[in-house]
Amino acid sequence: MLFQFSNITKTYGAVTALNKLTLSVPMGAIGLLGPNGSGKTTMIRTLLGLISVDEGTGQVLGKDFRRQQLDIRREVGLAPEDECLFPHTVGVEFVAYAGELVGMSRTDALQRAHETLDYVGLGEARYRKVESYSTGMKQRLKLAAAIVHDPKLLILDEPTNGMDPGGRQEIIELSRDLAHNKGMSLLFSSHLLPDVEAVCTHVIVIAAGRLLAQGEIAQLKQSHSQSYEVRVKGERAPFAVRLREAGCTAEEYADVLKVVLPGGATPQLIWKAAADANEQIRHLRTQRSTLEEVFLTSLEQA
Amino acid sequence: MPVFDQGYQHWSGTLTGHAWRWLAITRHGVRVALTNRWLRIALFVSWLPAIALATALCLWGLLEQQSALIQSLTPLLGFLDRQMLLDPRAYRQEAWTLAYGYFMLTELRLAMLLILIVGPNLISQDLRYNALPLYLSRPLRRIDYFLGKWGVIVAFLAAVTVVPAIVAYVLGILFSLDVGILRETFPLLLASVGYGLIIAASAGTLILALSSLSRSSRYVAMFWLAIWLGSGVIASVLQGIEHEQRRHASERFDRRNPSTFVEQELTAARTDWRPLVSYAANLARIGEELLGTPAAWDKVANLRAGSERDMARLRNVGVQYPWTWSAGVLLALFGLSAWILNRSIKSLDRLK
Repeated sequence: MLFQFSNITKTYGAVTALNKLTLSVPMGAIGLLGPNGSGKTTMIRTLLGLISVDEGTGQVLGKDFRRQQLDIRREVGLAPEDECLFPHTVGVEFVAYAGELVGMSRTDALQRAHETLDYVGLGEARYRKVESYSTGMKQRLKLAAAIVHDPKLLILDEPTNGMDPGGRQEIIELSRDLAHNKGMSLLFSSHLLPDVEAVCTHVIVIAAGRLLAQGEIAQLKQSHSQSYEVRVKGERAPFAVRLREAGCTAEEYADVLKVVLPGGATPQLIWKAAADANEQIRHLRTQRSTLEEVFLTSLEQA
Repeated sequence: MPVFDQGYQHWSGTLTGHAWRWLAITRHGVRVALTNRWLRIALFVSWLPAIALATALCLWGLLEQQSALIQSLTPLLGFLDRQMLLDPRAYRQEAWTLAYGYFMLTELRLAMLLILIVGPNLISQDLRYNALPLYLSRPLRRIDYFLGKWGVIVAFLAAVTVVPAIVAYVLGILFSLDVGILRETFPLLLASVGYGLIIAASAGTLILALSSLSRSSRYVAMFWLAIWLGSGVIASVLQGIEHEQRRHASERFDRRNPSTFVEQELTAARTDWRPLVSYAANLARIGEELLGTPAAWDKVANLRAGSERDMARLRNVGVQYPWTWSAGVLLALFGLSAWILNRSIKSLDRLK
C-alpha cells in the first residue's frame, strides 16, 4: 500500500478540512482530484505528517504518519503548489541544498543535483540565479529538488498551474516517465483533468474533506452497455423524436445524440428507428464516461 | 527529443540522521552570506583587533622575560605604570584581562556591524520567497530551522570573537614560557569564549526575531540599527542629562574635593538604570563582569597616586550597576525574541 487513512478528521476552527476520510491507495500513479477547498492540500500535509489530525490513524509507506513524520519525509519528495524558492542560490545549489536538507552528504547532493537538473532539462540554466527562472523553469526546478534524494513517493501539488502548453506538456511527460518507467509512486494533485488522465492510472476524488470516488481510471471510465453515441447524416432532432417514440432516452450533446436504450433492448432498436425515419447512421458506439463526467457525477452525488 | 531522454538514475546512497540536519542550513547560510563583498571586508576588519590582542599578549610575554627584543620598545610602553614594567609577572593577570577586555569590547561593536550585514536576510528572505514549505516538507523540525539560521550568526560571531580569543591565548602562552600562566589565565580564556557565545546567543536570537517580522531585509536592518545605535543614543542622552544634574549638585557641595567627586560619581552609578536602555551596554556590562575588567582596572588604578588614580577610577563609572540587571534585560529580550520567532514562523498546520 502507498498509504491508507482510517477515519481521519481534521478541523481548523469551524472549517472541517478532512471529514472521516478513509481510503487505501495502492502503489502507482495516483491522481488527486477535488474542487478548491476540498481538502487536497490538507490531505497532502497529513501524508507528510505536517499537521496533527483530530482523530483517525493512517500509514504512509508502511509508517505511522502521527509518529514517524520525519522518516516519512525522508522517503517522500514534495513539489509544493505555491512559488517557493531558496533565495540567492543558483539552480544547482538549490537542488543540492534540498538534498542536504534530507540528509544527503554535500558531495552526493551536488552530484545528484547535476543529474536531476539534466533530467528535468535545466542543465543549461544550472548556474543561473533561481530568481531569474521563468514559471516553467521554477516548476521543473521544484521537481528536480523533490526527486534529488530518489524518493519512493513523489507528490506534485498542482504542478502545471500557470504554465504554457509547452511547459505543461514537459511536466506531464516527466511525471509520466517517473511514474511509469522509473518505478516511483506519484501523487498528482491537479484541477486539470486531462493532465491527471495523461499521467495517472488511479484517481481519488475528494470534496468537502470526504472521499467521493476512488479507483483505476480505466474502470471508472467504464462503458455503459445501454448507452450509445449516435451520429446521423441528416437532422438530429427528428431522429431523436423517433428514438423517444421507440422508448429510448435521446439527448443532443455537441454533434452526437446520446441514446439510452430501454431495459432489455438491443442496438437493433436504433437501427430500426433509423430505417423507419429513412436516416443514415454514420457513427454508433457504446458510450464511455470521461474522467470529467466521473468527477462531475461524483460531485453531484455528494 | 523529450527532455527526460537524458535519463534518470536511481540513487542508493545513505542519508544521515536527524540530529545534525540543522547544520546543513547553517552551512548553506554561511556560503550564501560569504558571497557578499561587504561581509568579507567586515570580517577582515573584525580580525584586526585580534592581531592587536595577540601582539599585546606576546609583548607581555617578552616583557616578563625581560627579552632583548622588547628593550627597544620600552619607551613606547610609557603609558604603563613603572611598577608594572618592573615586575610584569605580578601584573600578568591584569594585563591579560585588560587586553581581552579591550578586544571583546571592540569585537562587540564589530559584531553588531556583522549582524547588520548577515542577519536581516536570514529569515526575511525565506518569508519573501516563501521558502518555508520547502524546509518544512523535508525531514526538519521548526527547531532545526531556527538552530540552522541561528548557527549562521553564531558561526560569524564566533569567528571574530571565540576563535581569535583562543588563537591569541595560545600565542600568549607560547611567548610567556611559563607553565604557571595556564593556571592564572585559563579562567580568562573560558570567560572570553563564554562571553563570545553569550553575544552570539543574545544578538543571534534578537536578529532572527527581527528578521521574522518583515519580508524586507531593509526594514529588518533598520530595526537592528534602532536597537543597536538608537538605544545607545537614548541611553547616552539620559545619562548625559542625569550627569549634568549631578555635576551641578557636586559643584555646589564638593567642588574642591576631586576624590569625593569620584566617590559620588561611583556611588551614583551603582544605582543608575539608564545604561540598561542600551542593548550594547548591557552586553558590555556582562562582558565586564565575566572578564573581571573592573577589578583589573582597580588594581592598576591603585598603582597611581592622587588625581591620576581618581581619573583612572572614573573609567569604571559606567559599569557600577549590578550585572544582574543587564542579565535580566538580556534574558527578557531573549524570551521576547523566542516568543516572536514562535509566533512568526508557524508550522504548516494551518489554512492558507
